[in-house]
Amino acid sequence: MGRTLRALAVLVAAVLVACVPLVVTSPFYLQIYTFAGLNALVVVGLALLFGYAGQISLGHAAFVGIGAYTCAYCTVTLHLPWLVAIVAAGALSGAGGLILALPSLRLKGHYLAMATLGFGQLMSLVFVEAVGVTGGVNGRGGIPFPSLGPVVLRSAASLFWLVWAFVAVAVIVAYNLTSARPGRAMRAVHGSELGAQASGVDIVSVKVRTFVLSALLAGLSGALYAGVVGFVSPSSFTLTTSIGFVAMTVLGGSGSLTGPLAAAVLLTFVQYLDSLIPGLPQAAASKLQTYQQDIYGLAIVLVVVLAPRGLAGAWRRRRKGVGTA
Amino acid sequence: MSLLQIREVTKRFGGLTAVDAVSFDVFEGTIKAVIGPNGAGKSTLFNTLTGYDRPEAGSVRCDGRELVGRKPRDTVLIGVARTFQNTQLFDELTAAENVMVGCQAHQRRGFAAAMLRLPSSAREDRDARAEAGRLLRLIGIEEWLDTPAFDLPAGIRRLVEMARALATKPRLLLLDEPAAGLSAGETGELVRTLERVRDGGVTVVVVEHDMGLVMEVSDEIVVLDRGRKIAEGPPRMIQKDPAVIAAYLGEDSDDA
Amino acid sequence: MTELLQFLIAGLKNGAIYSLVALGFTMVYAATGAINFAQGQFFMLGGMLGAAFVGAGLPLPLAALAAVLATALIGAVFELVAVRPIGDGDPLRIIMVTIGGSVLFSQLALHVFGPDTRSLTTFTAGPSLKVLGAAVERQTIWIWCLTALAVAGLALLYRRTMFGRAMRATSLHRDAARLVGINARAMVTASFALAAALGAVAGLAVAPLTQTSFQVGSGVAVKGFAAAILGGLGDPAAAVAGGLVLGILESLTAGYIDPTYKDGVALIILLLVLFVRHQGLFGGSGREKV
Repeated sequence: MGRTLRALAVLVAAVLVACVPLVVTSPFYLQIYTFAGLNALVVVGLALLFGYAGQISLGHAAFVGIGAYTCAYCTVTLHLPWLVAIVAAGALSGAGGLILALPSLRLKGHYLAMATLGFGQLMSLVFVEAVGVTGGVNGRGGIPFPSLGPVVLRSAASLFWLVWAFVAVAVIVAYNLTSARPGRAMRAVHGSELGAQASGVDIVSVKVRTFVLSALLAGLSGALYAGVVGFVSPSSFTLTTSIGFVAMTVLGGSGSLTGPLAAAVLLTFVQYLDSLIPGLPQAAASKLQTYQQDIYGLAIVLVVVLAPRGLAGAWRRRRKGVGTA
Repeated sequence: MSLLQIREVTKRFGGLTAVDAVSFDVFEGTIKAVIGPNGAGKSTLFNTLTGYDRPEAGSVRCDGRELVGRKPRDTVLIGVARTFQNTQLFDELTAAENVMVGCQAHQRRGFAAAMLRLPSSAREDRDARAEAGRLLRLIGIEEWLDTPAFDLPAGIRRLVEMARALATKPRLLLLDEPAAGLSAGETGELVRTLERVRDGGVTVVVVEHDMGLVMEVSDEIVVLDRGRKIAEGPPRMIQKDPAVIAAYLGEDSDDA
Repeated sequence: MTELLQFLIAGLKNGAIYSLVALGFTMVYAATGAINFAQGQFFMLGGMLGAAFVGAGLPLPLAALAAVLATALIGAVFELVAVRPIGDGDPLRIIMVTIGGSVLFSQLALHVFGPDTRSLTTFTAGPSLKVLGAAVERQTIWIWCLTALAVAGLALLYRRTMFGRAMRATSLHRDAARLVGINARAMVTASFALAAALGAVAGLAVAPLTQTSFQVGSGVAVKGFAAAILGGLGDPAAAVAGGLVLGILESLTAGYIDPTYKDGVALIILLLVLFVRHQGLFGGSGREKV
């Protein structure tokens, strides 16, 4: 695909996404598409972290949670404007990412995986126990809709556009990174740490920056989630949530942004399959719910064993086979 | 004038002394070969020069600056570049992109400029791409420019790694077996490339088993055996040195 | 004093369980250089399968033995099907596969055994024993005995058998081990089977006291890993020590500070060890070689 053709494809995709609220008018269904955007926002960051820099995180739900609770606390308790709340959410989760990344990224890959798992579990406990800030197991409600000055975004369509606008900016930023020096540095670190050091790459700095960026995007996703749903509770930010993000990123494939984006949307739909199939009896729906985790697990195992390049790799291979290359 | 001064460097692994009080100088604008039987400590010596192994004793100075105790990346910034016996290319990147990583070793522009695609960042990328193309042409492998590293033949991988090392603009280039996997014709080409690199002002130290190449290209040779320096001098002298002949005859014939 | 003794007993009881799980981490790490995130699920499978076999009418000793063997078999099959195809080279991919596997094992247990908690009867009935005024449940003694037995058996296996020597050689240097004719792949399979068996023993031994369900695996995995890393990943004896230390710290925290913080102890230890001294309390210098 040429450069202009690719730009055109991206533009068409953006227009199509923007048109979704014109086609899908049910607020309930539209919210699922909005949730897909929220997951996509996290997964863009993880695509950089896993797929480019080769680092695993099993705790990104914690950063989503930090963002969500920060937004809730700022708007409900401190009565701050939404814009301030979301900036605070991004800053706080980014800072959390920095504190976790600085010590653990000096170590090799498997230590980061465990450190993030431990951090995620610890934050789950904090979300439950720090009742003063988080509301404990009951969570916090009454979070106001996002607003920009006097404009309050309360319709399902405006919330959809807000979330996907964030996704679009994140994708552009991530794409710029991957196509410039930092992206090469990330892939260098993944390819060979010895070689990267010998080429003058500051590997700790590359990993830490990538991790902080991914934590920040997760925090923004959490803050948006709080505004969209109006209610946050600890059950949304568990190990299961983190593993869901891992499944989306792994299924999407390494060294790609579009693959993980597609996988994020796809697995979000799988997650809400019971609501998306019209007229599904209640019993069948709850049965389906119990199999959602199987799909995450299977996606991870099958992709890692059989097709390490994921959806993106399958797509590239197909094109290579059909095209002239 | 001597660019690199190695003094009494000793590196031990447990009870094994891999490098044993080795000293020698490398003069600016020359090619020096380090040879010796397998396990003589050649690669370990390279590791102690570039921050990958910290020697128990000794000092290494490049242009007066101490290298011992520095991190690998800092030795690159000082002007010491290296390749590895097991090539350490970035498999998912193309040959040109591999070299571009080296080109940008000294750049400061970071994440923010790239995220926003500032003109300065785009310009640096363009310059790095042009420089990568120039280096691959210099080494004579420009036809592999856009090939992903995992598709490159073994010999070409070594040359790309050499181009990547050169891209960091070193004063001293350390090559660990650059001719392994090359055909006879390609080895001849490598000799001319190394001479061009030296004449371009880069001092070269090469660990190599191909004696034809070593004798042809090097100005001086150091011979290591079981971690110790057993001889040093110009190629013709080394060929006749009884200690060297003894060390090589004691080993399997494939290195002789 | 009696109170302290009571806390220590409780700590050593949980600590023994953590030790067994930590040993499982250590064995797979030694053979593959990767962390097996599914280790906690072997613990879960041991307890659940044991309860299922008892439910099917097997006498307890036979059910326990069958559960350990079945879990070991599952561990070996998991290695053959999911880990072996990845081959050497990339521990990150092995980690990913075990993460996915962990989810699948938990889900499998959910689909087969249902969402309810299960329990086992205590191995020997009867009142608690009194030691210096503190009560020791009979099952706690079973836990200690089984842990001691497992550790002793493992030590014998490592020191005295050809298999154990091959295992140690593989963990020291995989390529060198292959050169002297050791089948390194078979060692990896064996390490998964043994790790699974150890996890299953732990899950069985503690099931009468705590009950078990399809979702107990990942919590135990984090604690077992904290214990393993506290001991310095890679050394079996240190893993056992790490487990006991963790158990006691947890129990003292719960007793003297606040039971709410008990689960946080392992997580904070895990993060502290990773940040401050990643070679562990009992490990040597953890410098990695180029």
